[in-house]
Amino acid sequence: MPIYIVDLYGSLLMIIFAFLSIRQVKRLRSENPQNVVWIYLLWLCYGLAGFAVSRSVGHIVKRVFITSGHEYLWLMLRPYSGAVNTIMFVVVASITLFFERIWKIYEHIMEDRRALKQAHEQLLYLNKHLEDLVTERTKELALSERKYRRLFEISRDMIAIVEWNGRVLSINPAGLCMLGWGDEDVKVKFFQDCFFNEEDFREVWKRLKMDSEVKNYECSFIRSDGLKFEVLVTGSVEVESERQMLHFWVKDISQRKNMERKLIQADKLASLGQLAAGVAHEINNPLGIILGYTQLLLRQCEEGSEVYDDLKVIERHVRNCKTIVGDLLKFARSAPTQKGEADIHEAITEVLAVVKHQFMLDGVAIKEKFDHSIPRLHWDINKMKQVFMNLLMNARQAIGKNRGLIEVETRLENGNVIIKVSDTGCGIPPENLPRVFDPFFTTKPTGQGTGLGLSVSYGIITEHGGTISVDSEPGKGTVFTLTFPIKEGMNESYEQ
Amino acid sequence: MLSVLLFGCIIFTAPSVVWGVQVHSSPEGLYVHQMAHGFFIVSLAILMYWLRSMKLIRYKGWRFINWSALFFILWNLDAMIIHYFDGTEGFVTIDEHTWEGHIIVASQHKIPVMLYYFGKMDHLFCVPAAIFLYLGLRALAQQVENNGYRRGEKE
Repeated sequence: MPIYIVDLYGSLLMIIFAFLSIRQVKRLRSENPQNVVWIYLLWLCYGLAGFAVSRSVGHIVKRVFITSGHEYLWLMLRPYSGAVNTIMFVVVASITLFFERIWKIYEHIMEDRRALKQAHEQLLYLNKHLEDLVTERTKELALSERKYRRLFEISRDMIAIVEWNGRVLSINPAGLCMLGWGDEDVKVKFFQDCFFNEEDFREVWKRLKMDSEVKNYECSFIRSDGLKFEVLVTGSVEVESERQMLHFWVKDISQRKNMERKLIQADKLASLGQLAAGVAHEINNPLGIILGYTQLLLRQCEEGSEVYDDLKVIERHVRNCKTIVGDLLKFARSAPTQKGEADIHEAITEVLAVVKHQFMLDGVAIKEKFDHSIPRLHWDINKMKQVFMNLLMNARQAIGKNRGLIEVETRLENGNVIIKVSDTGCGIPPENLPRVFDPFFTTKPTGQGTGLGLSVSYGIITEHGGTISVDSEPGKGTVFTLTFPIKEGMNESYEQ
Repeated sequence: MLSVLLFGCIIFTAPSVVWGVQVHSSPEGLYVHQMAHGFFIVSLAILMYWLRSMKLIRYKGWRFINWSALFFILWNLDAMIIHYFDGTEGFVTIDEHTWEGHIIVASQHKIPVMLYYFGKMDHLFCVPAAIFLYLGLRALAQQVENNGYRRGEKE
């Protein structure tokens, strides 16, 4: 009895819950009819309902037919009921197997939908705020452009944009100033025109082609007025709108190079000074003894005798040696300095007074250009006179037998006293320029110069905290420029 | 073409023994039915596996559906066992001609008898399975109405 009760009621409940499930899925689908999971569940529930009906109806009909004595009817119906029942749960099982695929499809759809939604929201936002965004972006771009334009314009190094054929598309004011170009020059000149040596240009182009960049390539550029200067070239290849452009950054290093050269010179002269001082000290004493004994012997010898004449020759040469040694010691700054307040113009005028007459007789004019605002300085005026004398004598010798002009100019510039001694003489060949301050370096014939004049002057100027530089062009003349920091001198003067 | 016609003539005019469509006698129906139960068990087990591996059982609705699948598996196992006993010659005789009916089990052992008796009440498994399915779908519907799924999104 319990079996039949369970069978009958159970069969009815199966049908009821199967259809209730269909109702719930329809409720789900009403929320989102396109949802593939709900469609899947609906098909599953349809299958289960079919299974429940086929199975439950079979059970109920069987019970009714057998109990009512119509077993033959059940025997006729039984194979169909069983077959339909089997088919139904095979169908349900088949639908069940698709769950994983359906879920994956659902997840893909959800991902796509989310992406679409996001894109849609972005589009809506852009559509709504497009004008504001464009304005804001334009402002940012303008600001950025202004910033970089300013950098481009105020840079003290050359910045240039160049095409592969060398045509200069854009160059900043510093570049124009560096090359001495005008705005019109940019239109007609090529970047290769900047290079002093064509080999350097070829090398830069080669590196750009090979590595797409060139870094700190040291070479020489040439100004429009023909002046050569040293630069560091850095460049790279950039692609702009499928067009290859070359961006260059060029730094003028001529000042740095000059400074390096001066440092090397100063270092070399300092070493030579030490050496000279050592040698001079060692030689000075024996020379003193030789001179002393020579003079003693001279007193004992009869004037006019052969021995007397020989001793005179020895004395003269020893004195020459002593002068050279004295100069060496001056160059090495080992001779004592006696500084005091002095007027630079007085010193120059005194020296000029000594040489002026002779120079004028030789056809060499002297031009003075003094800046009288220069204050009195704390100098060893006698040593400075020696410097001016050396420079003037050198200038005179450079002019030679021709007529010429020697100009002495003083001026106050950026807190420095500048003294220029220029001549219209033969000039100094470029290869000799680095050596003019070396001790014993001279281009004069043997016996006419010791090669110590400029070395000694260099030592004295350095001792006064100043510097000396030389610019010369063969055939046109030479300019010696002396620079003294005025503050140092004045301070010392006040301290005194 | 001629050779095909000739072959057709030979086949249809001179057969001595016919080896045509195979005959399917009665036990095949039972086997097919049992295999269908097996297939149903496998598909439900796979469904349970996916529900777990996709961590869907965290949600109430899918958790009920998972229980439903478990009860359907139990029902299938029960049905397979009962079909086996029913198909075993002489194991059981049922007098079904009254509403009460009598089950006469040939076996002397109590366990198969008890097993058959309770197994016969297979609705004790399949009705809960249908109820769990209904509850699961109802929970999903509520969930969808309350939040995320409304817009096709996950919770």
